[in-house]
Amino acid sequence: MVDLMLLAPEIAIAVTGLFVLVTGIFMSPQAKNMLGYLATFGVLAALGLTVASFGTEAVMFSGTVSIDALSQFFKLVFLVVALLVSVAAIKYNEDSEHIEEFYALVLFATFGMMFVASANDLIVLFCAFELASLATYALAGYEKQNPRSLEAAMKYFVIGSVSAALMLFGLSFVYGATGTTSIPLIAANSGLLVDNPIGLVAVVLLIAGFGFKMALVPFHMWAPDTYQGSPSVVSALLAAGSKKMGFVAAFRVFIVALAALQPDWQLAFTILAVVTMTFGNVVAVSQTSVKRMLAYSSLAQAGYIAMAFVVMTPMALAGGILYALAHAFMKAGAFIAAGAVVWMVTSEKRGNLEVPDHLDNFKGLGTRMPIAAFAMMVFVFALAGIPPTAGFMAKFVLFSSTIQAGMIWLAVIAILNSALSLFYYARLVKYMYFLPPEGEKVGTPFPYALALLLAVAGVLVIGIWPEPFVQWAMEAASVLV
Amino acid sequence: MLPVASLLILVPLIFAAVTFFTKTKEQAAGMGLLGSLVTLGITLYAYMNFDSSTAAMQFFESMEWIPSLGISYTVGIDGISMPLILLNAIVIPLLVVYSWSEDREAPNRFYGLILAMQAAVIGVFVSLDFFMFYIFWELTLIPLFFMVNIWGGEKRAHASYKFFIYTHVASLVMLLGIFGIFYASWQQTGVPTFDIRELISQYQFFESGMLKDAIFLALLFGFLAKIPSFPFHSWLPEAYSEAPTAGSVLFVLLKIGGYGLFRIILPMLPNAGSPDLFIVLMGLLGSVSILYGALLALRQKDLKRMIAYSSVSHMGYVTLGAAGLVALSVSGAMFQQFSHGLIMAILFMSAGAIHSSAGTRIINDLGGLAQKMPKLTVIMMLAFMASLGLPGLTGFIAEFLVLTFTFANLPGFVVIALLAIVITAGYHLWAMQRAMFGVYNEKLGDVKDINSLQVFSMAVIALLVLYFGLNPSPVLDMMITNSEAIVSLAAGAGV
Repeated sequence: MVDLMLLAPEIAIAVTGLFVLVTGIFMSPQAKNMLGYLATFGVLAALGLTVASFGTEAVMFSGTVSIDALSQFFKLVFLVVALLVSVAAIKYNEDSEHIEEFYALVLFATFGMMFVASANDLIVLFCAFELASLATYALAGYEKQNPRSLEAAMKYFVIGSVSAALMLFGLSFVYGATGTTSIPLIAANSGLLVDNPIGLVAVVLLIAGFGFKMALVPFHMWAPDTYQGSPSVVSALLAAGSKKMGFVAAFRVFIVALAALQPDWQLAFTILAVVTMTFGNVVAVSQTSVKRMLAYSSLAQAGYIAMAFVVMTPMALAGGILYALAHAFMKAGAFIAAGAVVWMVTSEKRGNLEVPDHLDNFKGLGTRMPIAAFAMMVFVFALAGIPPTAGFMAKFVLFSSTIQAGMIWLAVIAILNSALSLFYYARLVKYMYFLPPEGEKVGTPFPYALALLLAVAGVLVIGIWPEPFVQWAMEAASVLV
Repeated sequence: MLPVASLLILVPLIFAAVTFFTKTKEQAAGMGLLGSLVTLGITLYAYMNFDSSTAAMQFFESMEWIPSLGISYTVGIDGISMPLILLNAIVIPLLVVYSWSEDREAPNRFYGLILAMQAAVIGVFVSLDFFMFYIFWELTLIPLFFMVNIWGGEKRAHASYKFFIYTHVASLVMLLGIFGIFYASWQQTGVPTFDIRELISQYQFFESGMLKDAIFLALLFGFLAKIPSFPFHSWLPEAYSEAPTAGSVLFVLLKIGGYGLFRIILPMLPNAGSPDLFIVLMGLLGSVSILYGALLALRQKDLKRMIAYSSVSHMGYVTLGAAGLVALSVSGAMFQQFSHGLIMAILFMSAGAIHSSAGTRIINDLGGLAQKMPKLTVIMMLAFMASLGLPGLTGFIAEFLVLTFTFANLPGFVVIALLAIVITAGYHLWAMQRAMFGVYNEKLGDVKDINSLQVFSMAVIALLVLYFGLNPSPVLDMMITNSEAIVSLAAGAGV
């Protein structure tokens, strides 16, 4: 008998999603605004249930779904992102007629991500992965009248489909060689893949497939356009949530299932991590669109997290996992703050309307939208790794682990990258606080402000009192090694 | 007993936060003054209850913070940190008074940053955990960056970014060293800890000499770049001279590089893989800094740049005295940090006053300012004399101790440093003569002397320079106690 209560968070999300979708049809446009609050409560409930179930371990449905510290931790990451997005989207969707679709898609995407986190079988993993992907493809094109949003969705969808095909192809090779789709059984039989060209082909295809979601260079081409063109709240979901789904899937598939092929994929990840973080930071320096800058910074951050695959000590994995949580708060927050500015520019119809997230529109934001500016400052400082923020803690654990493994060169590259990134983050702070404002004080609308303050709280709590989070990350890492 | 060390961090930090939210200039400056005076009060309380006869940690507090990584909140004060805390606590309120009458944009941020800076610097001095030490070390960058970037001179953007990136990269190298010592000790003992004193005592048991040297050099580089010592000084002249007066004074109060030498480098030195080589290296860099800084100061046209380069020269004594590894040379180096902070504060305040009233800092465009600015000239003259090492003032005591007692171990480097003494006297007197004395340069128009608030703050510091020059023991005693403890460690290891 399966204890369905173990899946209570997932069930809460799915039920809320379906409920929102169905009731939305029968509601008047004015009443639809309450759907946002409803979705938020659903996510909050799931978040509470997840935190309450910390420490439980179980394998369900004939061993296809595993509830363990790793899945719990990543569920926390996804739910945090879903919460921030749901809250911020209350304002974003104020005048929209499709609120129920928006929230249903966000919740279904979250549902998919949560199942990826606990997938213990390649089929479950792939289905959940696709569920989340399909929902986010639609979300990226949510602004039907906005050509940029459509471009974003189209690019994301085409490249995403090809990557999904590659991933499935790679999984089929693994299945072909080992005769099973169960991750623990593959791990047990992975000797069959060693010194076998099939193993190598599978690794290459899987890296390409997951690399797309993780936005590792050279599989990143979609990311800047999609993050810039999508509505900001959706970019937040993509960069902070969907990207982490790629990581947790890669953790399960490479580190657990394909552990025997470690020398092969480790080499690939070494190159990918170094190239990704360097490329992301260098290109971010010259961006004038803030969302595009955040997209490139997001590449760089993915490069840092990918270091966990390179170092592979428990400390490094804990660092990578902690980084995923920290990144969820700071990146989601940063995109939501950018969203608040886009809202300000488009509703006021002044400033650079062609590129509403242009740096010039951030001038003097400190006086125009004090809360959004302050939150943005916290997020970019956190992304740059300045204490006492979550970004610093995560970098501290992750970067220090490279020294433990004796990879000084990697530490030097990562640290220099981190120093370089300060340049463009500090520039944004300068625009917000030290350039004169162009326009009157607007104030940050309540839902945006609430989402931003929640994210700021998360960034600062993890930065100042990291002990429980470090503990959880270490427990999650112990699932992998 | 008050938790003094924690209060010294918290009080300026809280006042900084409050100051950011003030509306008017009076409120901002008043809050800045109040915050720094409370900090001074706490510091004086600590100083009164301080026992100079022991090298042990006093006002020690410790509690767990992130036990899974061995990170704890551990703070304490000893004879190495007390004088530097005192220096900061004394100068910052006077700095607020000095800049009271200046008009500037966003005074709330200006005074808030000054207090934030004070909290960060004191945080470095009292931290006994590498994690905290590094956090505060990095936090000192942020107020200074904005100080230069917002209120600096014409080339402020360039100067602020150069300073930030240069010293940030240096601190990151230091961070690698911290990671190295942390993991090596974890492997050794099986227990993670970031406790500075524990890690230093574990350091001697590391097996690989190469690892020891790599850790040592990474940390040393971080500190030398912050002091700054030749050849890592190139960020300094621009940052010091582009910064507003308050920023320059905050820079000279930033004695964390030299502090790192005494707190971390010297206790590690005897157990490093090749200690003799490192002593020579430090001695060489110190003496070259003294000479090279003096030569560069001699050829500067800008008064503030001259003072900046003289700072490189003077900080060379800190490195040289530390390398001397005799109790009194090390104490001399510590005293140089204290003395240099006081003297440079007056010099930068003088340069700032000259710039704002005469409109230029180019030495040859000035001339005869003594006739129009007699009050400034008296105080500035005293500081110049102290800076060039006139007996009876603090600079002399520090340089005398460093040169005399370093001679025993490193005579060659002392000779190099002695060459610089003549040059030092030369550029000080020459600059003074051209800028302040002689015929008044009528092109300058009607130049006003410094106002009474500026006189007050500069005169108080000048009197302290005189007082500690005649009677150094209130701070020197505790320095000697701690230097003896450091040196006896080295002697025990046979270096």
